[in-house]
Amino acid sequence: MSSDYEFSDDDGDYYDDGDMMDTQEDEDDDEMMGSYDDFKITPKGKHKSYEVEYESLSQDAVEQLMSADVEHICGIFGVDRDAALLLLRSMSWNKERLIEKYMDNATSVLCAAGIQVPEPTPETSRPHSTTARRSTRSTNKFLGLSSASKPKSPTPPAATSPKSFVCPICFDDSPDLTTRALVCEHQFCTGCWATYICSKIRDEGEHAIRCMAEGCHIIAPDTFVRTVLSSEDGDPEENALALSRFHELVVRHFVASNASLKYCPYPGCTNTVSCPSASSKSSLILMVPTVSCGARGIGGQSVSASQVLEKGGGLGIQAKEHKFCFGCPIDGDHRPLICTVARMWIKKCRDDSETANWIKSNTKECTNCLSTIEKNGGCNHMTCKKCKHEFCWVCMGPWSEHGTQWYSCNRYDEKAGIDARDAQSRSRASLERYLHYYNRWANHEQSAKLSIDLYAKTEKKMEDMQVTSALTWIEVQFMKKAVEEVDKCRMTLKWTYAMAYYLAKGNEKDLFEDNQRDLEKAVEDLSELLESPIEPETIPQLRQKVTDKTVYVQNRNEIVLEDTANGFLEGRWKWNAVVEGFDEPERLEY
Amino acid sequence: MDARLRRVTREIADCKNDKTSSIKIETIDESPFHLKGSFPGPEGTPYQGGNFEIDIVIPESYPFQPVKMKFITKVYHPNVSSASGAICLDILKDAWSPVLTLKSTLISLQSLLCSPEPNDPQDAEVAKHYMTSKASFEETATYWTHIYAGGPGSKDAKQLNSGDDVAIAGLEHTHVDRFVELGFPKAKVVDALRRLNYRGNNIRNIPDDRVIEELLK
Repeated sequence: MSSDYEFSDDDGDYYDDGDMMDTQEDEDDDEMMGSYDDFKITPKGKHKSYEVEYESLSQDAVEQLMSADVEHICGIFGVDRDAALLLLRSMSWNKERLIEKYMDNATSVLCAAGIQVPEPTPETSRPHSTTARRSTRSTNKFLGLSSASKPKSPTPPAATSPKSFVCPICFDDSPDLTTRALVCEHQFCTGCWATYICSKIRDEGEHAIRCMAEGCHIIAPDTFVRTVLSSEDGDPEENALALSRFHELVVRHFVASNASLKYCPYPGCTNTVSCPSASSKSSLILMVPTVSCGARGIGGQSVSASQVLEKGGGLGIQAKEHKFCFGCPIDGDHRPLICTVARMWIKKCRDDSETANWIKSNTKECTNCLSTIEKNGGCNHMTCKKCKHEFCWVCMGPWSEHGTQWYSCNRYDEKAGIDARDAQSRSRASLERYLHYYNRWANHEQSAKLSIDLYAKTEKKMEDMQVTSALTWIEVQFMKKAVEEVDKCRMTLKWTYAMAYYLAKGNEKDLFEDNQRDLEKAVEDLSELLESPIEPETIPQLRQKVTDKTVYVQNRNEIVLEDTANGFLEGRWKWNAVVEGFDEPERLEY
Repeated sequence: MDARLRRVTREIADCKNDKTSSIKIETIDESPFHLKGSFPGPEGTPYQGGNFEIDIVIPESYPFQPVKMKFITKVYHPNVSSASGAICLDILKDAWSPVLTLKSTLISLQSLLCSPEPNDPQDAEVAKHYMTSKASFEETATYWTHIYAGGPGSKDAKQLNSGDDVAIAGLEHTHVDRFVELGFPKAKVVDALRRLNYRGNNIRNIPDDRVIEELLK
């Protein structure tokens, strides 16, 4: 392996600031700025083997996709948009199944979707309520409707005010009370409708809002919800919030029903990512579909990537890119390790790490029967409860050798004691092995958490540099780039430890760990450079060093990611544990 | 006036005015949103003759969210927890509709007593008892009605002292005594036999060894 400096010398020629900014922008273009109108992904140049093709969609773009489906159904069945939307929602947006079922029996599909009142069947209401509850169902409007006829759109949501009406919910009977009803003609006052719909949307997160009448399965269509929430009943602010939440819920339902779409899991973000290549389970053992919705920041103030670049900011948590895995619920980037194994690791860590740590620091094993023993008091003369073996807690040798020297041990080098300790350490090997990987994994995780501080410190340094030297703003960007790179590589390193824990012994694993070691060393070197104090006279040298090192680290990271990704495509990796989708390990050996 | 308060006040008044109905709703303290309901056990069931009290809590968003109800009176019923009085009934959860009232919900609870649904149980042990031996279940339910809900009780139940823990658990004295004679404390035997559902035809499936094993746990 060539040394760091040879490598960076080779690269130094073509690498300058101009290039650096360009590449960055190109990447951003590639990854984030897809054309929103187009659902199908058009290949944009060659992707690296560890990257997946995906596209970020805004809520509006997803609504357009929904609209396309809705229009399609409108066209085929000759129903209005509200009905088509309810039909699709009731079938989880599976158009093929909807068309098939609808052609088979339109009435039952319309009833199941809550669009049409079913013909009354011999009383089959719930047994709990048969005796005394009176039926509130009014005369059936669609009685005898033939299956071929077009379902009528719901009663125009215009509010009516019949004479002497008492709302069965709020018991209001004032003469100027206005009422509304769905196709089922269950009349309620407009105020109750508004409160009810708000409560369903905001408290229960429900997008299928049933009629308020007991046992009525008619679902309020979009137009109805919109009319109610934009009328003057209830708090206008609450209503507006509920309406936007309602749109979001419908979009979320659409996204959740579509295997090639996933909602951005970052709080407050409403973007969606489309990644058809990772939509099947079998594809997930070949690649890690890390995607980004393109937005940055947390909470309501999400900003698009281009805005961040314009502002020139882009450091710290406020500008954290919304990166997530398309294939599993782990947040962030778990490249290079595939989802199944990453999940196995996370589960193991959650279940075992604290226990393992505790066992390691508080217990020893009986040298005779290997039972795990916790010493919670008393002297060093141990008698195993199980096999009655007597030994010394300090040197682990048999107690018989201690003779009359009760309660003290100065025989650490005695042969028997050494043997006993050897045996002890062998039995601890698997625990130690796990902790070795876990501690390194956790270490990188911790470092990544601390990166927020590092970001802040670096920003300060960048300012200092502009003051103490003649460097311009654009010329100190190398620091920011370096910090970002370190952060990125720590994520990679973190997951390489989880991967190494599960990789079966062999040449492949050795090569993998070589790559891992090179990357780790480079990252630590770069971190050190970033922490070093700034002297005005050495800034040019520091800048050169950091820039070189950043490029080197970037390359090492590429190598690890690319090699691992290729390994998955070639089926090169073998595991030492049973992993879904892979062959069983030949023998379980570490 | 607050719509929730108006509705609840009206509901309580309606219930008071309705002299024909056996359903009662009364306030516990000054709050109109924490109430106590009661109804007689339905005729022709083991609950006949008892008076069942219900704790009613009216949530902030009533009537758009369901009212919270649980039995204050202990009831031996597959859909009611024998320990906490919690109720498993669809209209108290997702089948709730704003047109339902406190009174109609109490009526539904009353009819739940007529028609237990052991396949959707709240109390699995009671449900098992119901499934294995309906006659024995009814005996226990009658006994519970007698001691907790002030019901008349069956002939058998009258002969027993109130607070007989063997009968409360729905077990037979002969079975319990057999294991007590082996030297196990009575409470433990009752507990173990109840867990194993040592009733009716099920006894054939439980060898004595299994019972001993459970007792030694």
